[in-house]
Amino acid sequence: MATSGNVYPKANKMKDIDFKNKSAQKIYDSYIRRMRRSITVLAKSDKEDILMEFNSHIYEGLQNTNKENQVEKILKITQRLGDPEVVLMPLIAEKKIEQATRTFNPKHIFQAILLNIRSGMIYTVFAILYICLFVFGIFMAIKIVHPEDTGLFLKDGEFIALGRLQSSENATEVLGDWFVPVMFFVALTLYFIFTIMLKITRKK
Amino acid sequence: MNSEFVNKWRSQVKKGTLAFILLNILKNNEFYGYELIEQMRKFTTIEIAEGTLYPLMNRLKKEGLVTSRWAEQDSGIPRKYYKLTDIGISTLTGMETYWQHLEMSIQKLIK
Repeated sequence: MATSGNVYPKANKMKDIDFKNKSAQKIYDSYIRRMRRSITVLAKSDKEDILMEFNSHIYEGLQNTNKENQVEKILKITQRLGDPEVVLMPLIAEKKIEQATRTFNPKHIFQAILLNIRSGMIYTVFAILYICLFVFGIFMAIKIVHPEDTGLFLKDGEFIALGRLQSSENATEVLGDWFVPVMFFVALTLYFIFTIMLKITRKK
Repeated sequence: MNSEFVNKWRSQVKKGTLAFILLNILKNNEFYGYELIEQMRKFTTIEIAEGTLYPLMNRLKKEGLVTSRWAEQDSGIPRKYYKLTDIGISTLTGMETYWQHLEMSIQKLIK
């Protein structure tokens, strides 16, 4: 990663191309807008990097396509590039998951999973794992509403139930007021474990 | 001839060899995206949606096979140049060996 080489001398910002022809300008602007819309979920630096690279492609294309007028040129170049929504999909999915596993931010994780869900079963499994974490949240909420019959129930040292038990058949709740913090801690720990697992699967 | 089958097969072959072709292009020189496409056109008849080049280059970079650098231009629109890394060079050698074996086997088969 240290040698990624994106050391950039000036402000890391895309410079728009100016066209003399208004129609050509419109086609270009529309393509850039579609790109921006496709990559909104990414980190700012990734966005600019992708935009700048496609912008460079368009610019070099304009210099090297000699015969037609500007409208024909820009049309040809953008058609050859392909629909940004389609072409950028794998790049967005990839960059997003890099960001998610780097930051541990739940928002990024969620977006990354959604983006990658189509690329295989493995992500479906992760999606299910992450969704399971909500159960702990629900337990905490139930505990607050029904403090008496919610908790971790044991009978003679054996596990009976986790959650809400209607008729506490001799089972004793062992966590008491610790239930909420313990559930929170377990959920947090699992969250980290799942994310590290996600990171490892990405490295393969 | 089942041309639909041939077409599907061709697109699979294309997909499978694209990285190999690009690494070969980068063997002796560094290139930016648009040049890579031009080089591909020069040497092969492969037509791809040109935008798909960039996700692929990103993957090659993540695998440590290439590096990239932004180079300022007078136009104010910088180019991103790609270059093979040492790992890229040795990986390419490995791929070439496999390719030659495959080619020989296939030549024997189709005789």
